[in-house]
Amino acid sequence: MNYSLEAIRRCFEGAIPAQIATCAPDGTPNVAYLSQVHYVDSAHVALSFQFFSKTRENVLANPFAMAQVIDPASGTQYQLSLQYLRTETEGPLFEYMKARLAGVASHTGMSKVFVLRGSDVYRVLDIHCAAPSAAECGPAQVSRLPALRACADRLAKCAELGPLLDELLAGLKQHFDIAHAMVLMFDAANQRLYTVASLGYAESGVGSEVALGAGVIGVAAQERTPIRIGFLTGDYAYSRALRESLGEEGEKEIPFPGLAEPHSQLAVPIAVRGQLLGVLYVESEQKLRFTYEDEDALMALAGQLGFAMQLFEQNAECQEDQPDASLAQHAQGAAVAVRRYAADNSVFVDGEYLIKGVAGAILWKLLSDHSQGRSEFTNRELRLDASLRLPDVSDNLEARLILLQRRLAERCPYLRIAKTGRGRFKLVVERPVALADG
Amino acid sequence: MATNNKTPPLLSEANAAFVQRHTSMNVAGRDAQNRPAIARGLGCRVSDDRLRITVFLSNTHSAQVLQCLRENGAIALAVTRPTTHETLQFKGRVLDIAPLSADDHAAMVAYQDSFVEELSKPGYRPEFTRMLLAGSEDCVAVVFEPMEMFNQTPGPKAGEKLAART
Repeated sequence: MNYSLEAIRRCFEGAIPAQIATCAPDGTPNVAYLSQVHYVDSAHVALSFQFFSKTRENVLANPFAMAQVIDPASGTQYQLSLQYLRTETEGPLFEYMKARLAGVASHTGMSKVFVLRGSDVYRVLDIHCAAPSAAECGPAQVSRLPALRACADRLAKCAELGPLLDELLAGLKQHFDIAHAMVLMFDAANQRLYTVASLGYAESGVGSEVALGAGVIGVAAQERTPIRIGFLTGDYAYSRALRESLGEEGEKEIPFPGLAEPHSQLAVPIAVRGQLLGVLYVESEQKLRFTYEDEDALMALAGQLGFAMQLFEQNAECQEDQPDASLAQHAQGAAVAVRRYAADNSVFVDGEYLIKGVAGAILWKLLSDHSQGRSEFTNRELRLDASLRLPDVSDNLEARLILLQRRLAERCPYLRIAKTGRGRFKLVVERPVALADG
Repeated sequence: MATNNKTPPLLSEANAAFVQRHTSMNVAGRDAQNRPAIARGLGCRVSDDRLRITVFLSNTHSAQVLQCLRENGAIALAVTRPTTHETLQFKGRVLDIAPLSADDHAAMVAYQDSFVEELSKPGYRPEFTRMLLAGSEDCVAVVFEPMEMFNQTPGPKAGEKLAART
């Protein structure tokens, strides 16, 4: 082949329809328009199968086809000689294409017409371009390697989860010029993802949740696949994921911070050894903002994030069982009422919802112990405390503590979690607290 | 060059007007092993009796398709209007491949101007559209007799055969 698929990936962004020629066994050729040619790897593409069509009938009988794609920047056309291999109707490739098709469909006003039935996978036999000199007319692709390197370097200097998340978001802003981003951690017990850090929103949304399988983030998590959409889509907008997750529990939900109308979305799973840890999500009000190169770079960063998160979790164990004995400081000012509902461990402070679940249970334990005169704690004792019902080490206690720490900082700064060493922290209470259960 | 004149044309006057302006057109042929090839049509003309379509293909940009058409004459032409998605496909037999006449050339220029205007509506610059139409300086006129016409506008009726000649 004269060209690599990687060199012409921007032809596959879905901005301009592609065409495909097939041939019936009786020798009758057929031309059809394609809403999506999807880059699978350096030797394969997948085409969206939306209708039972002549194209499909032909390739099932005669697997050879030729697709024509257009570089949306220059107008240069490429012809791809293809051989049909198989159709996938579930799994990561299918879900990725389904999400992207939803974006392309709303971009072209075809939301009601475009439904993905399958992903037809083809081997690319040859790539031809009749005007190779023209291929250089389009703007050069921006290499993301320098930005990736700069971010990777920042992450490599971190020793704890909190700074790791801060450096990641600062790096995305500085080196990738990404203005809106968030990191969500996976709560395996509840099959949900919760936000632990965000960039660029009026409200941080720390603690807000997305159900596994809902929206771009939920699907990326469920299928362990990156999902990148370049156009605004009603189907995959966060408003929907949020509405679905709200249910009857509206008052115990923290609003999701995402853009009301994201024209570009990219969610990449954070996983280690096949185990899902969370999702890194970026979005923009600009269409086609994120490229294949951004997707590659964020996937590489997510790999590094995953290993770092796992390492920090394992390291965050203090060797001593008992923290140093230290008395709680004297609190001043008006008393604050903290009420816990044991059913879901939701905690309300002066009537305002603060947090629930494992983080809520942790806060309740810390405040209860604090009322007995303790202020220093270890990760280890939390992990061993049966009342917290922490599923296991993989449940990411560090992330729960970060969530709690940040939620407290936003909503009630007179209650603080301050790190005092590896696997150790102090609860600082600056106002008297009145605890009430139920 | 024998054309079947006994049955009425497939194309209505509206079909003929539709295909000749504002549309994106693509031509497919196939080789002796039934391997298909595709290329962009750079304009077309419908004969006054609407029994023949002449589509313009670039020698340099459509070499593989032209070779197929010369070998066996099996041709498919899909025509779509980008701003409405209205799409028709014609299948038939090539009758002749010849240099462009003065009328062909005038038709090609008028079509290409209309296509540049069409793609300017969603915001494509003229240079972009002219690049899509690259190879126009080196065209031949492929005359074919459409024997079948299909609706290919995306939706439940896509693929429906609208008319056929025997």
